[in-house]
Amino acid sequence: MDLTAFAETLYNSALSEWMRGSLKALPIIEAVHVMAVTTVFGTILIVDLRLLGYPDTTRPFTRVFRETLRWTWMAFAVAVVTGSLLFVPNARTYIVNTAFALKMTTLLCAGVNVAVFQFTTLRTVAQWDVNTPVPMSGRVAGAISIFVWTSVIVFGRWIGFTKGYDFSVPKDLDFEFPQSCLGCLDALDWN
Amino acid sequence: MLAFAQWLESTSLSLTIKSISWVVPLVQSIHLLAIGIVFVSLLMIALRVLGWTRPDQAFGIVLARFSPWIRYGLVVLALTGVTLVIGEPIRELMSLSFRLKMGLLAIGISSAVAFERSLEPAVIGSGLDPEFSAAAKSAALATVLLWLAIIFLGRAIAYDVEVWGPLSPAPRA
Repeated sequence: MDLTAFAETLYNSALSEWMRGSLKALPIIEAVHVMAVTTVFGTILIVDLRLLGYPDTTRPFTRVFRETLRWTWMAFAVAVVTGSLLFVPNARTYIVNTAFALKMTTLLCAGVNVAVFQFTTLRTVAQWDVNTPVPMSGRVAGAISIFVWTSVIVFGRWIGFTKGYDFSVPKDLDFEFPQSCLGCLDALDWN
Repeated sequence: MLAFAQWLESTSLSLTIKSISWVVPLVQSIHLLAIGIVFVSLLMIALRVLGWTRPDQAFGIVLARFSPWIRYGLVVLALTGVTLVIGEPIRELMSLSFRLKMGLLAIGISSAVAFERSLEPAVIGSGLDPEFSAAAKSAALATVLLWLAIIFLGRAIAYDVEVWGPLSPAPRA
């Protein structure tokens, strides 16, 4: 199945219809997405800085790694779920959005970077776990991670400014109805 | 407030920010990165108070590791936040989410300052490890939830009418 057809299927799903029909679903999910993504960034930064030798090497790397990444993974799971929910009702516009493509590419880079680190540098961790400078390959992985995750946030924010769904509420919209209203759909500019 | 926002919008600084298309997205991105740093630094201190992380490190060390990031991060957040308000004063000032966010921010910052003051000055950066009461632990948990709410409200500013309906002070034609 090609990407356009796939996006079309998602776009036409019941979940998608429901999200486009609810005024509050998208803002709330997006706000939770931001909470999750900022937590991913902040927690990974602790590990990346430890790789770069900050604040020092007195705490075993394995300890920092295990302890901090637990929170990263939890937040990442929330980010993936909320991110998918944001993608589905706007799949048509997302797949042609450059900032979105760049965000997915940088996410992929983050994954490759972690995988390479785990399968190479981390194998020798016993030699540099504590009170020893991290080998160059580890420091490079840390620096790449900081750069890549910064890019993920920047491109993510850029999506909202380039895909044009950052809708504005029609001025004559009457808010006396319950929170979801299919009749307002025409009035909202979803594309 | 609306009159003030309208005046602010007419200033040359506001017009400059608006006229350069990449300023708002870039400043918002920096704001988000700083939120990640400040929130997680706070989270790490709160988790340490709760005893859920870094049991091998004295509290004073954890505090010294993360509190400068909170302090400088908040400065970055204030500078970028003010820039965003000047750039889009009506969207920000005439939004219930923004007003609630500022209220929670005042509570969050003053309680953090009060917490730091309540500690013995010798604790910071030292091997001292105070015992925290159940009340202090509950406060730590409440603080995390408070800052999550602040982040939530920050993103919700863009959708004030959708989220708050008739409660939103956003001007409608």
